Amino acid sequence: MKPLSPTSPPKLYSHLYVEKRVLNHPQTRFIMEKFDRSAIVLIDHYKEVFNRPNQSFAAQSDSKKLILAHKDGKFLHEGSQYSDGFEHPQFFYASSIMGCLYDCDYCYLQGLYPSANTVLFVNLEDAFEQLLPYLDKDTLIATSYDTDTLAIESLTRQTLLWLEFAENQKNLHLEIRTKSANFKPLKKMKPNQRVILAWTLSPQKIIDRYEHATPSLAQRLRAIKEAVEAGWNVRVCIDPVIYTDAFETLYPDLIDILFHHIDPSTITHLTLGSFRMSTPHLRALKKLHRSDVAFYPYEVSDDMATYPETIESTILETLVAKARTYLNEERIRTWQRQS
Amino acid sequence: MIYLTCALDAEARPLIEHYRLKRDYTLPYTFYKGDGILLLVTGIGRSNAMLALSALMGYRIPTKDDLLINIGICGAPDTYRLGEALLIHQIMDTDRSYYPDILYPHPLRETGLMCVDTPVSSPCLSPVDMESGGIFQAASRFLKLHQMAFIKIVSDHFEPHKVTKEGAIHLVKSHIHTLESLIASLQKVSSDPSLFTPEEMEKIGEWKTHFTVSQGVKLEEALFYFRLKIPKRPLPFPTDPIPTSKRERSTLLETFIAHLTA
Repeated sequence: MKPLSPTSPPKLYSHLYVEKRVLNHPQTRFIMEKFDRSAIVLIDHYKEVFNRPNQSFAAQSDSKKLILAHKDGKFLHEGSQYSDGFEHPQFFYASSIMGCLYDCDYCYLQGLYPSANTVLFVNLEDAFEQLLPYLDKDTLIATSYDTDTLAIESLTRQTLLWLEFAENQKNLHLEIRTKSANFKPLKKMKPNQRVILAWTLSPQKIIDRYEHATPSLAQRLRAIKEAVEAGWNVRVCIDPVIYTDAFETLYPDLIDILFHHIDPSTITHLTLGSFRMSTPHLRALKKLHRSDVAFYPYEVSDDMATYPETIESTILETLVAKARTYLNEERIRTWQRQS
Repeated sequence: MIYLTCALDAEARPLIEHYRLKRDYTLPYTFYKGDGILLLVTGIGRSNAMLALSALMGYRIPTKDDLLINIGICGAPDTYRLGEALLIHQIMDTDRSYYPDILYPHPLRETGLMCVDTPVSSPCLSPVDMESGGIFQAASRFLKLHQMAFIKIVSDHFEPHKVTKEGAIHLVKSHIHTLESLIASLQKVSSDPSLFTPEEMEKIGEWKTHFTVSQGVKLEEALFYFRLKIPKRPLPFPTDPIPTSKRERSTLLETFIAHLTA
């Protein structure tokens, strides 16, 4: 164990908890060199830190730690009903990171995990091995599902590894969803037409209130502009829409701002969707008492909490109408409850 | 409230003097109380520590604003300076390890600590004590992991026979300022803040008695929504008396909830 230097540990990842069996993995060595002022704590298994009882998600959110581990089981999981699989015959998400650098009040991760810390599984090569048998037909993989991979790309390099792997796999399609402004790591990569970079946008007032530690709207727009100019396929997601008093102006204005900065013809799709969450995750979110988003009187059907139908319709009708002034119908996708 | 625990009377003595603590005979342990501080001398060894801690937690169940600090001496390899105060981020007990959350900046050297059964006279890879595992196990039933801290002061390089009572007193006394600054740091860690004042809690509790459990949950959730949305706005409880008719009560509740969540 390396004792922590008495001088200025970093605020983010002041502690690296490292499974003994990944201590010599190149990714681990890279991260340990990068965070050379962090305390290194050797552990047997990530669950002894990540799954400890009596952690405070709220308190940990201000001082996140990084856990480096080896994943023994499945990296790939079937895509959820809450997400868009874009009609690919197979849709999986890859779970190579648990936890997110960002701290959004409406995020289901707060209800999913007992800890605000991040677990990074360094053996991504095993995910590629697990994926190969599926690649005889078109397959979509969401690489940034239970996390925001691009937000910590400089640390993990996982997005680059995915892109390198995808280059030679003709049936593999990737969706890399992010709120990050960090386009820099992708600049040196040749754009791959089977890869979609999907940016989630919110009005700045919503970002300030609910999306803690995330880049501003202006920063995200700059990253989108760089990506489309470099030739990447970019989708923009205004999802989840949080219904607030000022919804009628905030979100339509966001669409105007978006297309003031980005030529509408350069994005593949605009995805619109109102907030929804599975009821078990919402229950866990309520226990944290962190945000009014958790306590809105949602309608619950089939274990899914959504805004009441009239509000949901208002949200989509308002935003679709606005979006139509910039895009044709085929390039607007919406998430709607199954009736 | 700050809960302080030591294994030895000698370790406790400088704390008793500094915080002007008074002996209390409520518990079957050496126990002291002061202004916002409880100090317990647990005795030596993991089991003693666990039992004593359980008694202390039962005596006064901690709240989310309380802290527990275990302070005492330890043996350590010679890479650790005699008299150096260490902050523990890993307690390696017999068959498992424990991890207090360190969510605050501090100037101390951090390290792992091995909790052993008997004093150690031969070289070991990490600092050792005999109580931390028991204290963590008992305390973590009552406190969140960021509410507890373990400070160990190096008393010897695996030469326990050289440790004297006077030496232990001196070592703890020399680190009172370390303890105070650690307490200040721990207190700054944002915990889950109370959303309602005690008066509001009382009012909510009183209202809930007029409704079914399920209606009470809905009311509470609407109040959380209202408070979290605009934190400084007072709760707008209706001033009219609560109707005696069940139907009228339900109507009143629905109207109130609609107002809170509008």
